[in-house]
Amino acid sequence: MLAVLCAFTAAPASAKVYIDIHSPSATQFPIVIAPFVKTGGAPDSAGTVTTIAGTIAGNLAFSGFFRVLDPAALDGRIFTGVTRDKIRWDRLAIIGAEALVTGSCSFAGKDRFSTELRLFDSVQAKFITGKKYEGTTADARLVAHKFSNEIFRRLTGTEGVFETKIAYVKNEGGAKEIFISDFDGHNPTKVTRYRSLSLSPAWSPDGKKIAFTSYKDGNPDLYIQDLYTATIKKASHKKGINISPCWSPDGKRIALTLSLNNGNSEIYVLTADTGNLERMTHDWATDVSPAWSPDGKKIAFVSSRAGGPQLYCLTLKTGKVTRLTYEGSYNTSPAWSPRGDVIAYTRGVDAVFNICLISVDGTYARQLTTRGSNEDPSWSPDGRFITFSSNRTGRKEIYIMRSDGANQQRITQGKGAKTDPAWGPF
Amino acid sequence: MKQSTNVTLLIVCIFLVTFCFSCAGRQKQDTTTTGAVSTQADTDTQDDTGEGKLEEVDISAKEFTEVTAQDPELAAIFQNIHFDFDDFSLQPGAKKILDTMAEWLLQNTAAQILIEGHCDERGTNEYNLALGERRANSAKKYLIQLGVSSKRIFTISYGEEKPLCGEKNEGCYTQNRRAHFLIR
Repeated sequence: MLAVLCAFTAAPASAKVYIDIHSPSATQFPIVIAPFVKTGGAPDSAGTVTTIAGTIAGNLAFSGFFRVLDPAALDGRIFTGVTRDKIRWDRLAIIGAEALVTGSCSFAGKDRFSTELRLFDSVQAKFITGKKYEGTTADARLVAHKFSNEIFRRLTGTEGVFETKIAYVKNEGGAKEIFISDFDGHNPTKVTRYRSLSLSPAWSPDGKKIAFTSYKDGNPDLYIQDLYTATIKKASHKKGINISPCWSPDGKRIALTLSLNNGNSEIYVLTADTGNLERMTHDWATDVSPAWSPDGKKIAFVSSRAGGPQLYCLTLKTGKVTRLTYEGSYNTSPAWSPRGDVIAYTRGVDAVFNICLISVDGTYARQLTTRGSNEDPSWSPDGRFITFSSNRTGRKEIYIMRSDGANQQRITQGKGAKTDPAWGPF
Repeated sequence: MKQSTNVTLLIVCIFLVTFCFSCAGRQKQDTTTTGAVSTQADTDTQDDTGEGKLEEVDISAKEFTEVTAQDPELAAIFQNIHFDFDDFSLQPGAKKILDTMAEWLLQNTAAQILIEGHCDERGTNEYNLALGERRANSAKKYLIQLGVSSKRIFTISYGEEKPLCGEKNEGCYTQNRRAHFLIR
């Protein structure tokens, strides 16, 4: 169990704006993580110090807002300790860092350790924030993620996603099971064990439940699994397919696709507690993959009413449907950004697929990926990052990237294709 | 003594009878719930086979068996049919196979058939589940037109989730874009 002892914080929140997250990402904020200090006690046999420092550095670099400087130049001439008074600020200025992270760790028996992490404004030689964590060495990454969020919050004024999770589907010898891992792919945990096909995980807005489609009882039915109690309930088991769930922003409804009318897929909205089903599309074409807007007023979806699959937008109040995509003949998998202004989707050209963005008014589109075949985009809760699956290394794996296409990195590995990623909430 | 035994017996009987009635009542309720079609959403279902609203039956695909395992003669009849990319219309070759299948089904009236709709791996999983559903229903509609009762035909889509082969070439993709048939 991890204990956070909020032992010390700075004077009232500084009015200084360190990183303006709204300005176009021109310069990155230079930050350096000093080599951690090990104080007394047992040896660091699990390499915890390296794990924490390395994970913080990786998180900050991935976010794209930071340039993490090489700490190689930092040594005893600059530090004699981890607190403000022990740092030679004039010497630190030479390497060009504007912020500094220091850490000290002490280890005890039975894998227990405690660490003090501090963040400084190295230009003003000012202490910004610090935390003391206690736990076992298995908590090292969690400590790093928590403090990364702390750094992110202090320097950008907004919440970091470093403690969020990603759900995805993994092929295990032909069966498909749902897994949940940290946003960086670590600590994957198996959520379904039906040895059947379990697909399309969708997080409830409070992060407590996952809706998904499973063939475990024979038919592709929709299930809701409570992640804390591990109880599962069948939410929709109509004749035909019950697929592509998407929760409404208030968590009270689920949009999904049903085909009970002679195999013709249509969009429906299910009210979770009453079981009431409302049909949203009425046409001869295939309609599938609903994606709710963050204000709850619209649903984007895929329809083949114009021939090949294209993106459309339904306004719930009026029932009006407008077409969104006109470029290309195969556009699917819409995912509405939590910021409300763009929709990520999959575009296929000659059966090569890429993640694209389109503005909600349909006027501006761009392609984010270029290597391999890429599908199933899903947004981080702050709208800054996207997770997707890609086969660029041969097998389908899960990737994360910035919403401008930068910093694309693979987060899964090992046997079994991985697809259908869904980024969990804060 | 005897009287109290009789009374006890009577009470037990009443209890059993009441219990049985409530059991029957509950069971009936259960059947109605699982078989329910009466939600608002699908009251406008227009079944274009002209047979009216179809009863919802929760089929378990496990009860159908693979034809090839049993009988080579049957295997020749219940071959896979194939589709073009992002298409669910029946090709001439597919229709020929379905013609033979319908003939057999009309002669063997007790048999039921399960049609699986599949896709190749290209394209979005969700869209392919919907496409597989279309493919299975394409084959079903054709069999109905040839006189096979819709009550004997079941469909299920597997999208791209159960491929026959994994190679990334046109030959394999074609194999995977199929409807597959099982009988019972």
